[in-house]
Amino acid sequence: MNDMQWTPIGSEPIPPPLPPTRVDFSGNRSEFRKMVTKGAMLELVTFGFYRFWLVTDIRRHLWANTAIDGDAAEYTGRAKELLVGFLFALAILVPIYLAYFLVGIEFERWQGFASTPLFLGFYAFGQFAIFRARRYRLTRTVWRGVRFWMDGSGWAYSFRAMAWGLLVLLTLGLALPWREAALERYKMQHSHYGDLRGDFEGDGWTFFKRAWWLWLLSPIALLIFPLAPFFYAEFKAREWRWWLDGIRIGGVSLSSNLPHDAFYGLYWKVIGWWMLLSMAFSVYMGGGALLLVQLSGVPADQVFGGDNAAKSIPMVVMMVVGYFALALAINIVMRVYLQRDLWAKVLETVEVHNIAAAADVRGSGELASALGEGFADGLDVAGF
Amino acid sequence: MSDVFAEVPAQSTKPTIFFDGTSSRRRQVTLTFGDALEITEASGAPVRWAYADIRRADSPSGILRLACTTAAPLARLEIRDAVLAADVTARCMRLDEHRTSRRGVAKIVGWSVAATVSIVCVVLFGVPLAADRLAPLVPKPIERRIGDASEVQVKAIFGGKACEDSAGKAAFTKLVNRLRDAAGLDDDSMTAGVLPTAVPNAFALPGGKVYVLRGLLDKAQNPDELAGILAHELGHLKHYDNMRGLIYNGGTSFLIGLLFGDVTGSSAVIFASRSVVEASYSREAETAADTFAIEVMHKLGRSPKPAFELMYRITGKEGGSKLTTILASHPLTEDRLARMTKEDRPASGPPLLTDKEWQSLKLICGSGKI
Repeated sequence: MNDMQWTPIGSEPIPPPLPPTRVDFSGNRSEFRKMVTKGAMLELVTFGFYRFWLVTDIRRHLWANTAIDGDAAEYTGRAKELLVGFLFALAILVPIYLAYFLVGIEFERWQGFASTPLFLGFYAFGQFAIFRARRYRLTRTVWRGVRFWMDGSGWAYSFRAMAWGLLVLLTLGLALPWREAALERYKMQHSHYGDLRGDFEGDGWTFFKRAWWLWLLSPIALLIFPLAPFFYAEFKAREWRWWLDGIRIGGVSLSSNLPHDAFYGLYWKVIGWWMLLSMAFSVYMGGGALLLVQLSGVPADQVFGGDNAAKSIPMVVMMVVGYFALALAINIVMRVYLQRDLWAKVLETVEVHNIAAAADVRGSGELASALGEGFADGLDVAGF
Repeated sequence: MSDVFAEVPAQSTKPTIFFDGTSSRRRQVTLTFGDALEITEASGAPVRWAYADIRRADSPSGILRLACTTAAPLARLEIRDAVLAADVTARCMRLDEHRTSRRGVAKIVGWSVAATVSIVCVVLFGVPLAADRLAPLVPKPIERRIGDASEVQVKAIFGGKACEDSAGKAAFTKLVNRLRDAAGLDDDSMTAGVLPTAVPNAFALPGGKVYVLRGLLDKAQNPDELAGILAHELGHLKHYDNMRGLIYNGGTSFLIGLLFGDVTGSSAVIFASRSVVEASYSREAETAADTFAIEVMHKLGRSPKPAFELMYRITGKEGGSKLTTILASHPLTEDRLARMTKEDRPASGPPLLTDKEWQSLKLICGSGKI
């Protein structure tokens, strides 16, 4: 081996402020598509249990191909952790569901539908799950051999989310930017990279100024349905950009020049695929029925209205197979466009300022359990 | 130290980087292949990684990223040079040992299928058995509480309060009491009432509550028609069908939900499989309640047939495709009517209500149309 003698970075004189660095995403799209296709099929074969492995594989792919300042991140979470987290969450959720049922009965006895507010308890639990799930993901995120981590309390976060949620409800959604800012501030101020502490400098007012007219126009989107994806894409792009602009970790800051129309294409592609697949599904069903009529020689009204189970069984089997194929294809489309492409699209607009502040960070922080992910899975809540 | 750069050979334009797992410092290192992999930074003692402990970590293409099971968990060695990477790969025999292999995937599939089979068996055999055994054991107070809760809800849905006309109520109580005695229900807390809504239906709630909706009463032409339907509902009470259904529905929806998790679009699958499984279960319960109604009506010396003629007048012919038959929660009305026709016997007992009582029962909710 050659003797490679390099100057360690730490011993150099402090350089002048560098221009911002970019974030590179080098993930291969067809590789991702193959992974997701295989994963979706395995998900079907395993009745959904494969989801823990697929989600982990997707994250590993996205993380490993995202490089900041030339160094790629790494996702160290494993599917078994998610599975165990899910099982633990189940063990905790089952008695809660039972208690909810019994308390609900007492409430209903007192007055009809009085137990509806109990639903709020589950919402609060969902918020707790969102916080803890983020903590899990963050503690599995490693860059330059140092992990991110989070402290703070899931319940304190849940309380804030509920209080702000009430305010948003009372103001018919106008307080949403301030809610997002407050919640993100709580999350980021409890996020760390090694011994660097995170912060969030985005404020509700900035977000409000960027998106208030969408709030005003949203009734139109409900009336003229094709406009809705535009509105949603517009809102999401503005939200992402505002969020990225606000992120700070120690002296490092992010900025993004994500254009307001960045997601139009993505959403319309998903809708287009969705329509195409539904059409293919109807053609398949129609063609199949026709073929069945031709082969069996039974008139069409008997196949559909049949008094004879033997004649409608092939129809039912065909329907089930078609339905699963449709679900599988939509699954793949959603993951490719709304996870991978969206990720790539957002990252290519991100600039990292003063990355030198993260050149020599001491590692710290403990790994968090996947219980939060389990709750989020069990309660069917999504959030970041 | 700029002269050092000149000594670097062409192939190392792609440097090897080491992160020690305690700091984010990017260390440029050289590798030496001894009896272990030696990682040497310009200044300082080499770090030694035994070849057998080295594992591959996730990395973008073009970079070989390594971890070591005996080093700090986050220590990483990144080799960007393809030739060097191949050299290292050749020496580390257990590089990919921790990865999910084809066998690992097969194992996941196998266990998932096993879990699914076990859940399906529990849904098909375990839960019905548990429901049958547990339902009679549910303590009366709990059953009554559940009944009270659903009663409040039902009343809220169907017009608020039960009809109160005193003569009608007396007739209704007489009818219900005769049926109850014949049915052998010893539940003295039993309540029955007529709710003012145009929907033609009747139902039983846990804790011995039977409700007839006014729409049914309006369509009934004689006491026997109404009595047969009430007897059917008493059959549900006698067989604890409510509690059984509750345990059964709760159990199956929980288990099937657990099974499918969050595969996109799973709610449709869950809904479909639940309605098939539950429909067959409740059809059995309905048939049993019909049998019970036949027994009670015979005991009173009346024919069970009129009740099902009333039902047929309301539903019409139901038989259609086999699919709707599989999904139906009740046996088809025409099938039930056919069964009742077989059980038809001329009346041997006294009428259940006098004409006068029947007239006042018909007017229990007042004479106004809804």
